[in-house]
This record gives sequence, structure tokens and C-alpha cells, in this order.
Amino acid sequence: MMRAVVALARREFTRFIRQPQRVVGSIGQPLLFWLFLGSGFTGSFRPPGMEGISYLEFFYPGVLLMMLLFASIFSSITVIEDRDQGFLQGVLVAPVPRMAIVLGKVFGGTLIAMAQALLFLLLAPLLGLPLSAGGTVMVILTLLLTSTGFTALGFLIAWSMRSTAGFHAIMMVFLMPMWLLSGALFPVEHVPGWLYVLMEINPVTHALVLLRLPFYATVSGVFADPRFVTSLAVVVAWVVGCLYLSMVRVERRDRGAAISQS
Amino acid sequence: MILIRDLTHVYPATRRQSSRTAISRLSLEVAEGEFCILSGPNGSGKSTLFRILCGLTVPSAGGVRVAGFDVFAEAMAVRGIMGVVFQSPAVDKHLSVAENLAIHADLYGLHGAVLADRLGEALEWSDLKERLGQKVDTLSGGLARQLELAKCLLTRPRVLLLDEPTTGLDPASRRNFLDVLRRLQRARAMTVLMTTHIFQEAEDADRVAIMKDGHLLACDTPQALRARLGHEVVVVQASDPPSLARRLEAELGLAPLRFGEEIRIEDVPAGGSLALLESILGRYRPEILSISIKQAALEDVFIHITGAGTAGGSP
Repeated sequence: MMRAVVALARREFTRFIRQPQRVVGSIGQPLLFWLFLGSGFTGSFRPPGMEGISYLEFFYPGVLLMMLLFASIFSSITVIEDRDQGFLQGVLVAPVPRMAIVLGKVFGGTLIAMAQALLFLLLAPLLGLPLSAGGTVMVILTLLLTSTGFTALGFLIAWSMRSTAGFHAIMMVFLMPMWLLSGALFPVEHVPGWLYVLMEINPVTHALVLLRLPFYATVSGVFADPRFVTSLAVVVAWVVGCLYLSMVRVERRDRGAAISQS
Repeated sequence: MILIRDLTHVYPATRRQSSRTAISRLSLEVAEGEFCILSGPNGSGKSTLFRILCGLTVPSAGGVRVAGFDVFAEAMAVRGIMGVVFQSPAVDKHLSVAENLAIHADLYGLHGAVLADRLGEALEWSDLKERLGQKVDTLSGGLARQLELAKCLLTRPRVLLLDEPTTGLDPASRRNFLDVLRRLQRARAMTVLMTTHIFQEAEDADRVAIMKDGHLLACDTPQALRARLGHEVVVVQASDPPSLARRLEAELGLAPLRFGEEIRIEDVPAGGSLALLESILGRYRPEILSISIKQAALEDVFIHITGAGTAGGSP
């Protein structure tokens, strides 16, 4: 099982690095977003209680998350190509557990997302964001977990889709809003009630909590924060849920209609 | 080795289409080590049957067993001993030949000395040796097909399914692909079931199954199928086929079949066709554009069995 997972994940990564425009695009876009939005809003961003934080700094974990979102989603979208171009049919008739097919794709996407996010993480010290060794480990683990969640969610959506065009539509009306409403762009604390509810049930909001806290607290401090523990539980449930549903989906085969035996 | 029993498949109704029966009460058995060709016109249910055999689709009713295992309940066991060559490529064209072989080996749990052995074997019969580092999308059609076959044979499948594997190949590459396949099939006593609609490909098979509209119409050796037609066929092209067909029937007591512009007289005993040709030519010379004697080929059998034309003089 592990051999199959590794083989499929490695394939994802190899394909990714052989397409330089994909690498440039997926790193360049969030970087530009961050620089332009961050620099633009820094002058007017003054939320109460966050006086010491520039928008560039506030937005930084959000951009990390956005990178994960794009990298993960765009690698899970390739499952549509795999089906179209025939590669998938060969995998489906191979004697591998269906979970291995899911994990191969998901870990491949996670690997790609992590490579990008880690590059971006190197910028943190330049911003004066203090990150201890423990904090770094926590951030990396959070990135891993979140990107697994995104890739598994993308996989689950992409699996039954027949065209990438359809997926782009879902991306704009469902996946992008998940990021927009995560607290990446604005703090959760001062939004209208209905939006607050939406944000609270959004697992990406909780991923952002996990990602932001280690920048500002010690490891023990982070775990003492009840908000962190709740968020961790939500994110873990999100990841496990999406992986499980993906497996169920892959396991499901086309079925003939029931007939009355005469 | 492959046992299909009373198989029925009905595609469920969708918003745009009512339900459609693709296979109906089909039974077929392919013995161990047999090379069986499955053919039929487009829409006959071949592809549906193929998907069911691979375990990708669960049929409405009936059962399929491969080497004693139930294809649906014991899917993993079946996948392990079965190789599948799909009509469309099942390789990653952005990766090299070697990388594709490696992924396949990993999926089937092959590694170490066994893998090295099998790779060596595959490079011996194929022309891929010089191409290992090449990306698949730069291979010719013939080589790409060889890769599909090489990939599947790495795992030494006991049963090999192929779905129109020579589609898009030029005649030389097709010949080459089939020769290799047949040689390896014999050497390894593999059970092979291959769909095709090119009848020259079926001449060499152990058995040929013919499907139409989801039913199995015939399943026999190529010799026995040819024998169903009588030994020879007289083919006449006429300026007015319907009228000539009627007169052949009325005046010479023949049973002509009409296929488009052609009139075929199929039940000619061996050696009798030359005399028949002379007598037809003697009586109807002005109406005849061409007349010939053909040895019955499988294609003729196929046309005869699936009834692509209309019998007698009626349109």
C-alpha cells in the first residue's frame, strides 16, 4: 500500500516540477497578492487591539493559507485530466486499496503545496515575525494538515467532475469564499453576526487560527488557549472527513439499473 | 478461466435518456490459455462488457468469475492476476517510458530482482530498449502501444484483457503488435480476451465471439464459423441489384442476400462456384457490372451473422 501511495505521490511532484510555468504561477500569484494588498492596506488598517501589527504582517498567515489553497486545489484538479487522458483507468484496475489512490493524489498535492509554502515561510523573519524552533515546527505541521485538508476536499469535488471548466466554477463560488471568510483578509472579531456564523463553521477559519497563534505565543501558551484546541479538533475532523469521503467515492463503481428478473 | 454467466446490464435512466439495455443474458466461457476475440458492430455492448470484466462497472444481474474469483466480491484477487490494455492510453504521457514502467511495477508491488528480470524480458521482445528515457508523448503510436503491453505483462498476468488495442495503428504496426501478443500468449499460456472490429485480427484466434445488441450470436473457432457460410461466396454487382436478386431467386432457385449494392450467394458448395458463376454470367451478362468468387473470410461470417443486410430480393 505505501509503495503505491509513494509512487503516485512522486508522480504528482515530478509532473509539477517539469512544468516551470506552474511553479512560477503558484508562487508568484500569492506573493504579488500579498505585496500589493499588504502594502496598500497597511496605511489604513487599524483594528482595535491590533495596533502594533501592519497589514503586511496580519495578512502574512492568510497568504500562506492561500498558497496552500491554490497549490492543493490545482494539484487535485489533475485527477480530471488523469481520467480524461486515461492514466486513471490503469490505476483503478491495479490491485491497490482504493485509499492508496486517494492518499497518493492527496500527498502528492500536499508535497507540492508544502514546497511552495516553505519557500514563503523563509520571508517570516524579514517581517520581524518572531518564530521559535517549536513555533516553526507547529507552523509546518499546521501547513501539512491544512494542505491535506484542501487537497482531499479538492479531490472529493474533482473526482466526479468531467471537465476542468466545471471545477473552476466550484473554485470561485465555494473554495475561494472559504478562504475569503477565514479571517485571512480581515479579523473575525468585528464582522456582522451572520458573517461571524459563516466564518465560525468554515474549517479554513480554524486552520488560520492554528497557523497564526504560533507566531505570537509560545508552544505551551498555544496549547493552553482553548480556541487553539477547538480549532485543532475542527481541522482534524475536516481532514479525516474529506479523506474518508474520498475513499468512499473512489470505491463506488458505476452500477447497472436493477432489473426485474423474469 | 473467464466465466460470464447470465450477464445483464441496463444503464440507468438519466434526465435526458431513458434506461438502455446494453447486455442481455449473455453467457460466455473462455478456457485457460485460450485466445478469444470478441467482436461486434459499434454499440453491440462490447465496451460495456469490457468495463464489467475489468470490474469498473457492476452489472444489473448475472456473474463474472475470473480464475474462480468473483470479479466484484473478490476484486483485489482478480486485479492481481489480470492485465488490462485499454483502448485509450493508460500511461502518463508527461513521464518517460522508464518512469511509467516503474509506477506500474509499484502499483503491482513488483520490486528488486524480480522487477529487473521482468524489465529485461520486456525490453527483449519490445523495441523500447533505446527509448527508456524518452517521454511517452514523443513515442510513435506503435511504440506507445508496445509500452501499454509491456507495462501489463511486467506483472505476468494469467488473464489479459485488451480493448481494441490496435486502434489507430498502421497495418505494419498492427501486425507487429498482434504477432508479439500471440507469441507471448502461447509461450506463457495466458488467457486472452480481446475486442476488435478488424476481422483479419480474428483469423488467428482460438475462438471468436460475435455480439450484437447485447446478445451473443455466435462463439466458435474461426474455421467452424467460416464453415457456417459454405465454403465459397459468389459476389455480384449489378446495375439493378433488387431486380437481379429477385430473378436469381425465381429463375435459378438460389438464395441471394443483398448487402447494399452487392448480391451475395453464400451457400455454394466447394468447387461449385465456378459453374455457378458461368451460368449467372451466361444468363444475366448485360446487367452485371462485376462478379467474383470469394473464399469466405471472417468478415463475411460476421456480416452474415449480424445480418447487416437484408435477405432475398426484398429491400
